[in-house]
Amino acid sequence: MKFLLGALVALLLPVALLVPAAALAQPVKTGHIEAELVASAQGIAPGQTIQIALRQSIQKGWHTYWKNAGDSGEPTRIAWTTPAGWSVSDFTWPTPRRLPVGPLVNYGYEGEVLLPMTLTAPKDATPGQPVTLNAAVQFLVCADVCVPEDAKLTLSLPVTAGPAPADPKWGPRIQKTLADAPKPAGLTAAFEKQGAVVKVAITGQALKGADLAGAYFYPASGTVIDHAKPQPIERGPEGLTLTLTPGYDFQKPQPPAELAGVLALEGKAYEVSAAPGPLPAGASGLGAPPAHAPVPAGADKLGLLSAALFALVGGLILNLMPCVFPVLAMKAASLAGHGGGAHAEARRQGLAFGAGAVVTFLVLAGLLIALRSAGAAVGWGFQLQDPPVVAVLALLMLGVALNLSGVFEIGTSLQGVGSGLAAQSGLVGAFFTGTLAVVVAAPCTAPFMGPALGWALTQPPAAALVVFLFLGVGFALPFVAVAFAPGLLERLPRPGPWMEVFRKALAFPMYATVVWLVWVLTVQVGPDAVPRILGAAIVLALAGWLAGAAQRRVALGERAAPLGVAAAVLIAVAVVGGAFWPRYAEATAATAESAHLDYQPYTPEKLAALQAEGRPVLVNYTAAWCVSCQVNDRVALSTKAVAEALKRDNAVYLKADWTKRDPAIAAELASYGRAGVPLYLVYGAKGGPPAILPSILTQGTVVKALDKAAQAS
Amino acid sequence: MLLDRRLILTLAVAWLAAGPACAEPMVGQPAPAFQARDADGRTVSLAQFRGRTVVLEWTNNGCPYVGKHYGSGNMQRLQAQATADGVAWLTIISSAPGFQGYLTGPQAKAWKAKVGARSSDVLLDPKGVVGRLYEARTTPHMFVIDKTGRLVYMGGVDDQPTTDPESLKIAKPYLAEALADVKAGRPVATPVSQPYGCSVKYGSAE
Repeated sequence: MKFLLGALVALLLPVALLVPAAALAQPVKTGHIEAELVASAQGIAPGQTIQIALRQSIQKGWHTYWKNAGDSGEPTRIAWTTPAGWSVSDFTWPTPRRLPVGPLVNYGYEGEVLLPMTLTAPKDATPGQPVTLNAAVQFLVCADVCVPEDAKLTLSLPVTAGPAPADPKWGPRIQKTLADAPKPAGLTAAFEKQGAVVKVAITGQALKGADLAGAYFYPASGTVIDHAKPQPIERGPEGLTLTLTPGYDFQKPQPPAELAGVLALEGKAYEVSAAPGPLPAGASGLGAPPAHAPVPAGADKLGLLSAALFALVGGLILNLMPCVFPVLAMKAASLAGHGGGAHAEARRQGLAFGAGAVVTFLVLAGLLIALRSAGAAVGWGFQLQDPPVVAVLALLMLGVALNLSGVFEIGTSLQGVGSGLAAQSGLVGAFFTGTLAVVVAAPCTAPFMGPALGWALTQPPAAALVVFLFLGVGFALPFVAVAFAPGLLERLPRPGPWMEVFRKALAFPMYATVVWLVWVLTVQVGPDAVPRILGAAIVLALAGWLAGAAQRRVALGERAAPLGVAAAVLIAVAVVGGAFWPRYAEATAATAESAHLDYQPYTPEKLAALQAEGRPVLVNYTAAWCVSCQVNDRVALSTKAVAEALKRDNAVYLKADWTKRDPAIAAELASYGRAGVPLYLVYGAKGGPPAILPSILTQGTVVKALDKAAQAS
Repeated sequence: MLLDRRLILTLAVAWLAAGPACAEPMVGQPAPAFQARDADGRTVSLAQFRGRTVVLEWTNNGCPYVGKHYGSGNMQRLQAQATADGVAWLTIISSAPGFQGYLTGPQAKAWKAKVGARSSDVLLDPKGVVGRLYEARTTPHMFVIDKTGRLVYMGGVDDQPTTDPESLKIAKPYLAEALADVKAGRPVATPVSQPYGCSVKYGSAE
């Protein structure tokens, strides 16, 4: 140890001793830093105040620290030796960066950084004589290891009779650093400890309509909050609320009287000092910002390439998720049409299906991005949060099912939705099969998709669209691949009478889909929806039967126009009456019922209260339209083993129902880097960040997580 | 289908298998229980010191802040004083293999002899289990546990976050004061302070 220190001193001493001899403005190399003092002006007049700065050029991979170094480290220090009457201010600290080190987070600087100070000359300074100012600087410079380095720096400036011109090199750079540094902006701030978290609410003119993406609070003191924890953001009309994890100071008998620091936004930073007290109104209620919410380790580290890759894999896996089973039936029917031979046609159809899927993904993504940038707290699967959309889909699925049952046929028209069977010119049909598959599949968040979507929604639209593009490509890939693989196509049986049987059998999964959608609708708007949507279904069935009759007449050369018109009118009646008019009223409090497991509805307050009691908590972010969620509920959650585990571990099961739009839940999902459900969190008995369970649950996973959460106490 | 499902499960579990973070240590609460191997390979558990005051000291022999306290003899003095008062002083190394400060058992013993450390034992925590349990952030990072097993102090050795040994002359010695309070049966006047030093070299985030 002594040897090491000795070696360090031996290395550094000559450098330090040589410094004063160095010419002015000659940068000093301390080992991992090149340091010098620079001035914004070429001279200084008696009584004048100018800006100077300590410039550090830090070796790549190394960093120095902010005034609060975070979990470890030490800020740069400077001690001046100045002639009588000269004075230098403290540093104006530029906004730092977060520097994660293993499980810890430090605050500091990388690359080149200027730490500005003001230099004031005495009124009796003598023009014509240069002034020499000496400073002893101590750096702690760290990569994964830390090295204290120091330097003796000198700044020599001519004393001029009047203000001197700006330094062409450093003047603008110091000015820019000062312009970017955190400033007071008359913000009002208050903080309040709420259970296991501390919320700080900040309001003010500067925050109204500001881009709050990636907002982060850098505390001035190192003991007031836990630096390594994420800071979920909620926006309000007047400002924002950050959820912080309390630090050591909150364990003291006297809780902190102030929460001071810097609120950093994209490209801007403000000094903030929060007082204890009730949180001001206007700092919350609008959900997470539309972009760049801070997300836990992992998701925020995704680059575009890996997010695209995740999206591709996620899209592939989406084909296996329960949401898509009904549509798989349609795809199977469509594929069966190409058994044996017909390769060119199969390829065209495959491409049309792929195009339909990809275009629909992009349209949905564009809509989603537009809605979010307009401030709506929506996430993936948002289209199924609207009762009219669900109703239309239910009727559409019924139409497809009736068609598969042979009630009516679909010819060459654009109405060939879902009918890949009309193989002659079914390109449009194949395209819309792709569309339909995506619309129905979208509410499922497959594994891999969650992180990719969460990432995408925090990015600029172009990057987000790339991710959705890959999602669409991944989703369409298996079908397109089959269409392009002659070997596989050969294995499919040749078209024949069996297809008719197959097709009629496939109608039944489609009828089941109708049942599911009707159920979703009733959860959204209550039992009154049942007669209405089923009535519309009967009208639609009548329309289908009339259409079929008309088609048979046409085949016999008879007049069919009145029947066709009647069918069209009935379709319109069914859709308008079933979905749009009169408007669906909001249901009061109908929630997806879970079979055996007692739960309480989720609120952040309830979670905080339970955590304060020291009980483990399982939070299930779910929605009636999310089939994966329902499958998980039946297969894994609503089981005896989980019920027993909850009891044994004194745990509480909270359900956050996202069947209807809810900005608060959307914000929470965003804070875990998710854009959709399901999300399962298990909070340990002693607080801390929750464990995130996989998107596909097994009973064992849940039980294990609950037991582990209880043990943490 | 079954196979696919298993595959998805495996992938999903692999992707999301981040274990739950442990709860943070709180002063006034029972100190988290732990077991670890010492430099001689013996298993040491916190429970066996019930009835004695325990000091936990995180260290890293390559860290210049640790260097300040050992190079000046400050840490050895604190250790000698505490152990003379019957305190069990456990020096813990949470550096991961390949990272600064990692020592094998024999190396740790050699280091202890060389710097003349007077701690009761040196515990090896190469996986960072004990470190994470206590959320040890820096070297040094100090914890004091009273005779009933409650955590009564956590933070720095003193209030001088610098590597300069001269700072010891003007330091407010939080740790020594906490131990004096515990010895006298008083509540600890400053139960938490900001730890300072190098980051604990856990090696990875997980």
